Amino acid sequence: MNHRIKLLVGALALACMGNAHAADPIKIGVSGPYTGGSSSMGVSMRDGVRLAAEEINKSGGVLGRQLVLIERDDEAKNERGVQIAQELINKEQVAAVVGYINTGVALASQRFFQDAKIPVFNNVATGSVITHQFKAPENPDNYVFRNAAHDSIQAPMIVEEAVVRSGFKKVAILADSTNYGQLGREDLEKALAAKGVKAVATEKFNIKDVDMTAQLLKSKEAGAQAVLTYGIGPELAQIANGMAKLGWKVPIVGSWTLSMANYIDNAGANGSGARMPQTFIQEPNTPKRKAFIDAYLAKFKPKNNRIDSPVSAAQGYDSIYLLAAAITQANSTEGPKVRAALEDLQKPVEGVVMTYDKPFTHDDHDAITANLVVFGEVKDGRVVYAYPDDLKATAQPRKKDSAASAAASK
Amino acid sequence: MILLQLIYSGIALGMIYAVIAFGYQLTFATSGTLNFGQGEALMLGALVGLTLVGLGVNYWLMIPIVCVFGFIQGAVVERIAVRPAIKTRSEFGWIMATIALGIIFRNVAENVWGRDDLPFPSPLPVAPVQIAGANVLPMEMLVVVGALAMMLLVELFNRKSIHGKAFVATSNDRDAAGLMGINTGLVITFSYALSSLTASFAGVLIAPLTLTGATMGAVLGLKAFAVAIIGGLSSGTGVVVGGLILGIAETTTGFYLSTGYKDVPGLVLLLLVLAFKPAGLFGKTAIKKV
Repeated sequence: MNHRIKLLVGALALACMGNAHAADPIKIGVSGPYTGGSSSMGVSMRDGVRLAAEEINKSGGVLGRQLVLIERDDEAKNERGVQIAQELINKEQVAAVVGYINTGVALASQRFFQDAKIPVFNNVATGSVITHQFKAPENPDNYVFRNAAHDSIQAPMIVEEAVVRSGFKKVAILADSTNYGQLGREDLEKALAAKGVKAVATEKFNIKDVDMTAQLLKSKEAGAQAVLTYGIGPELAQIANGMAKLGWKVPIVGSWTLSMANYIDNAGANGSGARMPQTFIQEPNTPKRKAFIDAYLAKFKPKNNRIDSPVSAAQGYDSIYLLAAAITQANSTEGPKVRAALEDLQKPVEGVVMTYDKPFTHDDHDAITANLVVFGEVKDGRVVYAYPDDLKATAQPRKKDSAASAAASK
Repeated sequence: MILLQLIYSGIALGMIYAVIAFGYQLTFATSGTLNFGQGEALMLGALVGLTLVGLGVNYWLMIPIVCVFGFIQGAVVERIAVRPAIKTRSEFGWIMATIALGIIFRNVAENVWGRDDLPFPSPLPVAPVQIAGANVLPMEMLVVVGALAMMLLVELFNRKSIHGKAFVATSNDRDAAGLMGINTGLVITFSYALSSLTASFAGVLIAPLTLTGATMGAVLGLKAFAVAIIGGLSSGTGVVVGGLILGIAETTTGFYLSTGYKDVPGLVLLLLVLAFKPAGLFGKTAIKKV
């Protein structure tokens, strides 16, 4: 009986393959939270991905085939991410997947792609371990790539900004209780230790907490001169609002999530001045960026002409171009060939964040290095360059600093 | 001064819990059942309020409209979820039924308003006021005053009006009240309507302090349930005291112990109350004949 079903399935599969012709579309999975507290990142990422795919399809697609996006809402939940991963692999049979906003969801889901030998392209999630989850020697080949500024870049930058540039020797850490917050807190503590500083207070909060008085009072009483944060928009807004309530005004410096629309909108005037590392700021200082921003605003019409999460949109956009370049070079959509091509990209790919000139090697799957990240600041309801010099510097062509990534991986 | 600040914040937080817990207590009194969708009633109230404010309705004018909405919503919950369970004398049917309705309401809200958290414009100045050396937001004072005023109004209604007397009679002995010609079914529907009304009122009251979104009710509803158990499901004073205890316990433990254990003392208290005074701190111990 069982045998007969297998035969039947086999015959069906053969029949399908026989019907397939060269112009079959290439399926790309897109997984991210399009609803909930992380949605400003997820939706912006998805829109960036859509924009890139549409442009590529208009100019003839990849290998003469159109890109088809299979979009799924993982709701920032690990278990949803796992279900989606299995659906994308087994039912949709995608050639690759892009996305993952939440570190926890990425860590839970990408093992399935690793096992199926399908490339995963993280374009937003920043947990340092993401690209190291399947390291040699246990795994000869790693199928996880990323073009986002990971936490071991961000945490030292945050510390550099607060401790060195601003000269605050007493800082407090406020991190949420998720994987993201707690891994980030560890990175922050490590980076602080490297500067010989210990946080005067290290506090935790939960998603959906409505009162931050205890955490903030502890930091204030410990004499903190700045608050370093690791959390997402809504709760970060509660921190800024709680500080206003206590009449305590110290700078907030934190991970890149301080640029989320739901932080900026919910904190309003209280959130102004917060600083965070950014790979991309909505500022048309190169022709490529101008074209991207104009196309995005024209197509998706965000409120007040402000991309909800410009970083996510830009990285999402670039991830599709990188993937397309790899598929073209591999002349195939087979996972192992695409992976090999990504690790050895022959032609530079011009993205909006930077020009990706050999962004990956076999042992280094992180495209972004510290030299590509600048400081953004919340001002009048949007994120601007914290240092005017960066505005000029980023207008120049930028490339990955391979020496820095070698040092970081040590 | 730090303690004072913690207590202020604890009071504001506690009154949020208390006003929701008050709703649990209202329905329990008349029918011995609870609306486990109380958190969702709060969320719906806040979101409807937000939509109204977005349409240009004044905040103070919006409150009575939301209250009417809550009233109707509560009546619907009773008719759909609780009435059949009471009729069939099902011991626990109403538990699942009210939870199910709560989930449905949340899903509807997610589809109507999206799942993102939205800011609620504050009707009062957002600058804090200093009282005895610690800061309080005007909105927090409004929550405390508003919650107390509403509970007082409901209590007055129960004690003074003829409808209120029917309410009290039903809560004392439903069968006897029924024999005296009181339409106890209607009274129970009314108690549910009133409990949802208080929840949606709480929703618009606290929304400028918290963020507004489809998931805002879940945590608050649960904490309020703990408050109702601690204070006693049969006592109006109990929920206020229970709310204050839980709110202040959360802020002070957060500060003096660790913010990682912020939620623990309230729950330990809950366990202690259940172990030593199961009817709650202010509850009347009733002997249930089996």
